[in-house]
Amino acid sequence: MASKHTIATRHAQGIRARFASRFLRSLLRLRRSGNRFGGSQSNDEGIGKRIRTDRIKIAAYAAMARAVGPRRTWSRALLFKLRNRARIHGVSRKRCLVSEKKRVTRNKVVAISSREPSRADTLRKLVPGGDSMDTCVLLEETAHYIKCLATQVTVMQSIADRLLL
Amino acid sequence: MLSAIPPSCSWPDLKSPWDLAMPINSNGNGNSAAKPRDLPDETDNTNVGFHNNFDESVILASKLRQHQISGGGNGAAAAAAKMMLHPQFLMASARGGLPQNDVIDGSSFKGGDGSIQELFNGFGAGSMNGTGQASSQSMQHFNHPQGGAMPAQNFGAQVAATTAVMNQPQPSGSNGGAPAQPRQRVRARRGQATDPHSIAERLRRERIAERMKALQELVPNANKTDKASMLDEIIDYVKFLQLQVKVLSMSRLGGGAAAVAPLVADMSSEAGGDCIQAGSKGGSLARPSNGSQTARTNDSSLTVTEHQVAKLMEEDMGSAMQYLQGKGLCLMPISLATAISTATCHSRSPAINNHHHPLLQPNGEGPTSPSMSVLTVQSATMGNVGGDGGAAKDAASVSKP
Repeated sequence: MASKHTIATRHAQGIRARFASRFLRSLLRLRRSGNRFGGSQSNDEGIGKRIRTDRIKIAAYAAMARAVGPRRTWSRALLFKLRNRARIHGVSRKRCLVSEKKRVTRNKVVAISSREPSRADTLRKLVPGGDSMDTCVLLEETAHYIKCLATQVTVMQSIADRLLL
Repeated sequence: MLSAIPPSCSWPDLKSPWDLAMPINSNGNGNSAAKPRDLPDETDNTNVGFHNNFDESVILASKLRQHQISGGGNGAAAAAAKMMLHPQFLMASARGGLPQNDVIDGSSFKGGDGSIQELFNGFGAGSMNGTGQASSQSMQHFNHPQGGAMPAQNFGAQVAATTAVMNQPQPSGSNGGAPAQPRQRVRARRGQATDPHSIAERLRRERIAERMKALQELVPNANKTDKASMLDEIIDYVKFLQLQVKVLSMSRLGGGAAAVAPLVADMSSEAGGDCIQAGSKGGSLARPSNGSQTARTNDSSLTVTEHQVAKLMEEDMGSAMQYLQGKGLCLMPISLATAISTATCHSRSPAINNHHHPLLQPNGEGPTSPSMSVLTVQSATMGNVGGDGGAAKDAASVSKP
């Protein structure tokens, strides 16, 4: 079923529709799993809400990354991070992230903590997988990332509008 | 060093110009007409390019000689060294081409540089004009016969660029010639560097500029011309979008209070408006439950809310905004509110209007009264409403339609 779906929506409908369908499906999945565990999904105090918030957020990013596919550096890095997070699930997340950074760090980003973080460094932190790009590629990836984030936000907003009507 | 130069030159063809030049030195007045006649015989065996260069150089050398003599310049040694270095430099450039424009190493060029400037001074009717006018004109003349060969272009660029840094007045040329002249770095003109490093850098810069332009269209508020502030805008926008995703994911859980704090903290940025809208979605989830209640207590609840908000505003703006957002309301200037309500009257469909106002008018009608000044703003078209929230303290009110 998944393969049929991907073939059908390769580039025909653009990234917006791809993201929307994936996100909706994952939302349904989350709701079902939430229903299974607790009676109602709302009214869980504190931690429960936060976990569900995070799950939804992660589902959104995962849906976006999968919709983009492995074409872009940032989507690949995002998928990698999410896979690691799912695998380890918070126990040794720090260790995993550190190792990932070491893996992708090249000469350009030698860790010099004494240097004031320039704007390019800040941008690298924001864009997933930004560590292993030089400035030129970083700007290109940022442009695509911004475009995808914007579509993500509009889709999520419209879903929220429809859902809560 | 002056003395070292003649022995070190092992180039066979150098001897001939020097030998030729020497008699002129001793003569005192070189015939520029005489020189080119002799030279073609001597230098035919060398490459033609060099011949061309050398032709010019010899003419220059003769002019220099004349000028030296007329200006009472230094002795033969220094002048000879200059002439020596001058064709040497030209030979080097004709042979291998100068690899760099920005940094010319080697004192030979340094000497040649100074001599060339003096030569052009000589061209300029012997007057000590520091302007590049005469020299650049003569430079053009100089370059043309060479057919625009690369070394000549280098030469032209360098000399034209260094006339500004020329600091060798004629009388001071007597301070010993090449070694005593201060080191002058030659910068190529903008966009005319031939050094592979600078070419690569220029390509890189151009690519970055392209990408920045593409980014400018994506990011709103991108009227900044400065690259640094543009980068700041980009960074802020990415942070804002990520924050929006976070807030939107919270809104599906019933308006987590944790979402509101970062929104309030971020009020000052341009993203404040959209944040409030996003926050209102969290509040709107709670709405359907007490919508019926609101239907009955429209009047009182709004007044109560208004008083509550006013009280909170006195102590702390942040808590007031938090309270409002918990209710799914926002603060906006009255003028804007009227504009929006009239606009939504005309443009929006009733279904969407219903959706907009279950909070204040759960009877399901569209916005009827323009006096209503507290609305929930659901769409992203209202740009910076929240940004005015703080400033609109006196202008906004919670009122009953």
